Amino acid sequence: MSSIKILKDKCVGCKLCVNSCPFGAIKIEDKKAVILDNCTLCGSCVSTCKFKAIELTKDEVKGVDTSEYKGIWVFAEQKEGVLESVSLELLGQATRLAKDLNTDVSAVLLGHYLENTAKELIAYGADNIYCIDDPSLSRYNDESYANIICDLIKQYKPDIVLFGATAYGRSLAPRISSRLNTGLTADCTILEIDKEKKILLQTRPAFGGNLMATIVCPNHRPQMSTVRPKVMKAIEPDYNRKGNIINPQITVPTSTKVKVLDVCNFPKEDLNLEDAEIIVAAGRGISDSKNMKLVEELAQVLNATVGASRAAVDEGFIEYAHQIGQTGKTVSPKLYFACGISGAIQHLAGISSSEIIVAINKDPDAPIFKVAHYGIVGDIEKVLPQLIEKFRENLVK
Amino acid sequence: MTLKKYHIKLYLNLNCIYKLQDSFGVNYLIITLKRGQFVMENVLIKKLEKEHQDYLRDESRRTGTGESISFPKTEKEIIEILSSLKSNGILITTQGTRTGITGGAVPEGGHVLSLSRMNKVIGLRYDEKAQTFFVKVQPGVVLSQLRLALKKKEFDDTENWDNESLKAFEKFKNSGEYFFSPDPTETSASIGGMIACNASGACSFKYGPTRNYIEAMRIVLVDGAVISLSRGENKAENGSFTICTSSGKLFKGSVPNYLMPKVKNASGYFTSKDMDLLDLFIGSEGTLGIVSEIELKLLKAPKVHYAVTAFFDQEEKALKFVQSIRENASPVAVEYFNSNVLNLLRREKTENPAFGKLLDLPSHFNSAVYTEYAGNSDEEVEDMLMKAGEIIESCGGNEGDTWVATSPQANEQLHFFRHAVPESVNLLIDKRRKTHSAITKLGTDMAVPDSCLEEVMNLYNKSLEEAGLESVIFGHIGNNHLHVNIIPRDMDDYYKGKELYNSWAEKVISMGGTVSAEHGIGKLKTHLLGKMMGIDGIKEMKALKTLFDPENRLNRGNLFEE
Amino acid sequence: MNIIVCVKQVPGTNEVKMNKETNTIIREGIESIINPFDTYALEEALRIKDAYKGKVTALSMGIPQTAQLLKQTMALGVDEAILLSDRAFAGADSLATSYALSMGVKKINNYDLIICGKQATDGDTAQVGPSLAEKLNIPHITYVNKIEEIGDGFIRCTRLTSEGYEVIESSLPALLTVIEDLNVPRLPSIKNLREAKNREVAILNISDINADSKFTGLSGSPTQVVKTFIPEYNINNEMIEGTPAEQAEKLVDNLLSLGLSVQ
Repeated sequence: MSSIKILKDKCVGCKLCVNSCPFGAIKIEDKKAVILDNCTLCGSCVSTCKFKAIELTKDEVKGVDTSEYKGIWVFAEQKEGVLESVSLELLGQATRLAKDLNTDVSAVLLGHYLENTAKELIAYGADNIYCIDDPSLSRYNDESYANIICDLIKQYKPDIVLFGATAYGRSLAPRISSRLNTGLTADCTILEIDKEKKILLQTRPAFGGNLMATIVCPNHRPQMSTVRPKVMKAIEPDYNRKGNIINPQITVPTSTKVKVLDVCNFPKEDLNLEDAEIIVAAGRGISDSKNMKLVEELAQVLNATVGASRAAVDEGFIEYAHQIGQTGKTVSPKLYFACGISGAIQHLAGISSSEIIVAINKDPDAPIFKVAHYGIVGDIEKVLPQLIEKFRENLVK
Repeated sequence: MTLKKYHIKLYLNLNCIYKLQDSFGVNYLIITLKRGQFVMENVLIKKLEKEHQDYLRDESRRTGTGESISFPKTEKEIIEILSSLKSNGILITTQGTRTGITGGAVPEGGHVLSLSRMNKVIGLRYDEKAQTFFVKVQPGVVLSQLRLALKKKEFDDTENWDNESLKAFEKFKNSGEYFFSPDPTETSASIGGMIACNASGACSFKYGPTRNYIEAMRIVLVDGAVISLSRGENKAENGSFTICTSSGKLFKGSVPNYLMPKVKNASGYFTSKDMDLLDLFIGSEGTLGIVSEIELKLLKAPKVHYAVTAFFDQEEKALKFVQSIRENASPVAVEYFNSNVLNLLRREKTENPAFGKLLDLPSHFNSAVYTEYAGNSDEEVEDMLMKAGEIIESCGGNEGDTWVATSPQANEQLHFFRHAVPESVNLLIDKRRKTHSAITKLGTDMAVPDSCLEEVMNLYNKSLEEAGLESVIFGHIGNNHLHVNIIPRDMDDYYKGKELYNSWAEKVISMGGTVSAEHGIGKLKTHLLGKMMGIDGIKEMKALKTLFDPENRLNRGNLFEE
Repeated sequence: MNIIVCVKQVPGTNEVKMNKETNTIIREGIESIINPFDTYALEEALRIKDAYKGKVTALSMGIPQTAQLLKQTMALGVDEAILLSDRAFAGADSLATSYALSMGVKKINNYDLIICGKQATDGDTAQVGPSLAEKLNIPHITYVNKIEEIGDGFIRCTRLTSEGYEVIESSLPALLTVIEDLNVPRLPSIKNLREAKNREVAILNISDINADSKFTGLSGSPTQVVKTFIPEYNINNEMIEGTPAEQAEKLVDNLLSLGLSVQ
């Protein structure tokens, strides 16, 4: 059993370890550090201690012979032949990782009528495609997909397997990692290779994003990770690339305990502010309702959703459905443009979770500039057209 | 803007803008036009343009008028602005974040002095005697921001703090949790605004209103003089007082003679024979001076909070419970929801997806009382809950008909329930406005002494039934402070409602109650204040007002009927 | 219907602040709560019990203090609460956790359905549900937002996908992970709390559940944390100067260098 202990003769009670523990699991009693029940053996304190007074003994974890495992696999998630963009992004990342490991990239494709999809995958970086084509697989099914992929992994022994952190991916990956008794790291934002140890370094957010943790799976294979869409970058597709299409001898399960009875897609929602990634919002400072056209154009160029402050809605520039703020909707976009919005506290309450806020306002003292990451003091009528043009030039759709 | 006469000779180029500072330190821009003509503008005072439309309104939805506006950042700038406006006798309306609902911040012509940019926390100190921290703030600091800063123990502007404050900050970071207790529902209110109307919230039942947490203030008077007051240091003696300004000028006066009602109160000037003079300005709705700096008293935060909503099948039992719990326990808050409220929520839950998260209300739930308990350990607060359960049973209720919140998530559910009430009322009014655009809700803010709780409830219930009006009753029943919201179906209802409202005011006054317990008088309830104070009371208030603001330029329209 | 609900104790808040001078993490003395997503799982289990009669057991792996939180679930109507607590469980990743929980479930033995919350607010991995189902060799359905029907040996639910929803039927026993739209969790009454005061939470250690310490805790975790750090957000408050054209150019450059891309 792994354990941690304080070497009392070395401990001086300096409290450095107390501060470094993310779980608050160390306290000082009688001038010595004491490890509490909620310690997770993460080891953050060990390196912090200047007096080497903390001893963490980890049991030898018996794993597998890792040298038998080679290659990077990406689960190619598709629906009716259309690949999820996250799978293409993962292929892109896989090609970069493969360079560091001097190995190749394979895609795992399950479904029906897969010929064209396989070609896409090769264009986006797959050297090999493990293709299982069967009518029973045309719809995603947790049970049959997990069975097949586990069999494939047991047969071909990949070093690394990557999944998109989609609804399906997050259901499939842990089932597989559990069956194979290997490690899985969810929602990785950075994937790199440790050049010395030749293992995957998986970095992910914890505590709601307030802390980042880098995780490894040294003794078990395959090393598995899930990654959210839009985190990694796909490569430019090259339709002249060549790749191998492999049709493995795998049993496709004839019956499953889980059956998918019906699949329904939500209608494409015209206005979804709460989930929007980019929002362009108008305030009273756009001055005239005719300038809404500029706001809408900028939104169009960025494929963004149009929002508004209460003042703009009160002025009649746009309907209430677009209102953001205390009496409207709360949003959490990656990018928020506040055009002619002064930044009243009730509006700020609705946008505080935005990752990046860009403010454009005539008034240099407008409160919005205090929370904006980028501020432009200027006239909406002059600045927006310039932005629209520059974005058009630079953004590749 | 009228030109000032300055005996200076300047040779100015045409079509230029010059900066000039006069002997008072006031900054001006001189904009030259044609030969021999120029305009002078104080840099701080702007013309009120279309983009400032919001500053003509507050949450009362009453719209005013104004010619100029300023956003001072310091006390010095306030004085500069007042100086510029002095000679022309321009009216001044002081504003915080304009969240008031009685029109207190709505300007009736003249200049709008917005303190919204004076939003810094400027100092901190620990008092050994009081065993708590005091925080110094500018009037435009917003309640929600102050709360967040105190919780996170992070302040924006500490690089400008003096050494004493920085030392206190270190101690603060290593002490437990401290909080600013006044909790009006609208957390985007500014401290200055809260002082103007002596704001309260649900927890004021235990902790008291804003008044109890003001330790010191700096006030700029209309002529630019500054008064500095600290609690305990300046008191009236037998009704008379002397205040000395920063420039040495003395104000001698008397406090009004009327007796304040012995209830939670936000109507008119605070007065008592040996009062602390600080209290003259708290709740004065900006009519006596402009608050430029405040020191607030904090309280040590209890570690554990539980809350419970108790449902009764009869209003009598609920009222009995209220009377018993406040006598036999010390809840932090005691709130009420009558049967019409529960019916409204039941309807909204089925019709409106936004209310889907409301828990189901079985049909035998007639009325509800929400109480909150705080202490330093789970055991302590759990005991309070058990005791509350016994009290419920002793009042004929059933302790199984309660919803208990012991976690933040559960508390959220109870809060959602409470906030759904005014929300539903507003939605209903909005619906009705589609056919009768002049309809607004009629909400009361009156409170009576403890002994009159049953009497006032009977009054409300009976008269509403007789008038056949739609209504809900909810609010801070712990202080006998209920918000009766009449929801008119047409203009007929609206006028009947207003009449009823006025008749209630008279009855409440005769019970020794108040016409406004937390919202203030503003411009909307001046006639009610008149009823409550009587001619003599108003005269005394006016005398006080005249002492500090002889030309009646500050927040004209507030408190006194024009 | 015998239902097991997996419950986790998590910190009440995720605020992890950095002391910039000493470069260390500052953690407040924060209270622990039941993982909010698990409250929906508990509520659903109780609703099924109300409708079909049966028993609800709350199962958790945690430190001894977790027993206090589990007791609160008994005030809601949970019939039995079991806490798996042992030093050997410390430092477990989701595989080791699901192994320990699976041994706890096997100890309980008689069950038709296991319900879990979709993820825990401290780890956010959402892995334990499917992983536990695998260890028990039972089917699982994730992101359930409605249970349509429970019949003789089967359950039918709708689950959310990225673009819509699916209707899925599974044989029983099965494991579900549920999302927040599923229901509105009930609150206990004072009477419930009073009655729960005398109830006990069963605390089981590693030998009580016949688990092998090789597979629990840190020893049973294939993944290890090698580094933790506070993320640096390279964004400050920057005012962009110049003519409108210059301002636009600088802004676009900045955003693109931060990785701006559109769908």
